[in-house]
Amino acid sequence: MHRAVRRAVTSLSRRRYATNSGSDSTTHFGFKEIPASSKETLVKQVFSSVASSYDVMNDAMSLGVHRLWKDEYIARLDPGNDQVGVQTRCIDVAGGTGDIALRILDWAREKHADRDLSVDVVDINPDMLEEGRKRFRRTMYHNTPQVSFHVGNAQELPPAEFPSNTYDLYTIAFGIRNCTSIPDVLKEAHRVLKPGGTFACLEFSKVNNPLFAQVYDAYSFSVIPLLGSILASDRDSYQYLVESIRRFPSQGDFSEMIKRAGFHTGRKGWRDLWGGIACVHTGVKM
Amino acid sequence: MRTALLRCAFPLVKTHGFTRQTLSLAALALPDSPHSEPLSEFAVSALFGPGLEARRTLINAWLDEGIEQMGGDAIQSGDMSVRDALKGRLKWNEPVLEKLPEAFAVLSTVDTPIPFPIHVTPALAHVAKVAHQACVLSGDTSVGTSWYARRASVAAVYAAAELHQLTSPTSAYQFLESLLESSASAGDVISDVGQYADYIWRSWRAIGKSKGLL
Repeated sequence: MHRAVRRAVTSLSRRRYATNSGSDSTTHFGFKEIPASSKETLVKQVFSSVASSYDVMNDAMSLGVHRLWKDEYIARLDPGNDQVGVQTRCIDVAGGTGDIALRILDWAREKHADRDLSVDVVDINPDMLEEGRKRFRRTMYHNTPQVSFHVGNAQELPPAEFPSNTYDLYTIAFGIRNCTSIPDVLKEAHRVLKPGGTFACLEFSKVNNPLFAQVYDAYSFSVIPLLGSILASDRDSYQYLVESIRRFPSQGDFSEMIKRAGFHTGRKGWRDLWGGIACVHTGVKM
Repeated sequence: MRTALLRCAFPLVKTHGFTRQTLSLAALALPDSPHSEPLSEFAVSALFGPGLEARRTLINAWLDEGIEQMGGDAIQSGDMSVRDALKGRLKWNEPVLEKLPEAFAVLSTVDTPIPFPIHVTPALAHVAKVAHQACVLSGDTSVGTSWYARRASVAAVYAAAELHQLTSPTSAYQFLESLLESSASAGDVISDVGQYADYIWRSWRAIGKSKGLL
């Protein structure tokens, strides 16, 4: 359910997400305020800790629903081209365990008979990437040019490895909320996409219905950390994951951030899943 | 940007229809376009919606543009007759006549067949907007129920004329003329009937009062 590209950088992010306090800016780590420079390390520790049991925990916490969200995310994007020989280049950021990349490749193959589409999977955490490589070793895409794995920071993708105006599709699923500076991530996404390329983000969001929100809060803050301690012996990591969801901007605010990064959105710019528990935001670089 | 893309898509409708491909190709027609390729399917979905939703967006934008074009060179409302306004609207259809039946079918489809398999509101909204614009351009000053009656009458005339145009484009304008004439005489008849009914009602009311019943 939660996928992250994590990095704490010393530069300030937007005021909403980092505050000036003398010589060291602060940012949020769940509900805690911490020095911005230490967020990367802390988030990295969280995901190194959960990497090996990530998929099991996602299934347990969401009762398997995360798979439906990811399926719908990919179905709406409909990646793939019916014309033979047309290469569609995709980049999946915070894609450590490879489940989005695999879905993209399977969708393109099954729906469009597209075997030219490629996905570059990027994650800052090598442990999560190793889980992804392991997953792909069981598939037909292993050792093909259709998938590659890269260690990288979503806020600063190395230009040599990720040149500007390269990709047709940029996906990031359940990862952007763990970044120190969301605007920097969006800026990098805009840079690496071609004109006409699409940014698509699947992320937890704000539940619109107040009654449902209460039920969701109760479940999130009591059941999920408990499952973390039972199934993964790591309550604190899952407590952080739940808190980080609450700190993420609302649908409208995040859509505005996407527009400020230079993307053009549809009339609304997002689509809620399950009443706003998750949300798909899209934008096009024109 | 959506509006700019839709406007660039209109000239392409004649050759590519009201399709997602038209929206995709519209990016190449943008002024100072940085695009060397048409928009991808996911870009079209991101900007205009998935599946048929994108096509409906294009069709509705085209219909709205048709409303705007009805005025032609009319400087202000009142400079044009209803006849000329409706003719102007039919003229807007001419370049894409063969694409229109499919367009209206797309507007009528629903994503889920329950509770109704088709959606009639878009068709009614379309003719209602055309009728309203025609009345505004002609300087119509009806109020109250006459306002609705006038627009309903013009909407019915336009709907019939447009349907006729789809099957027999060459006689569409003559058909429109004949409908407008019939509508005018029907309007007179209805008015006469209304006056007569009002006379009968007053007479009976007077009789009732004289008998002490009222």
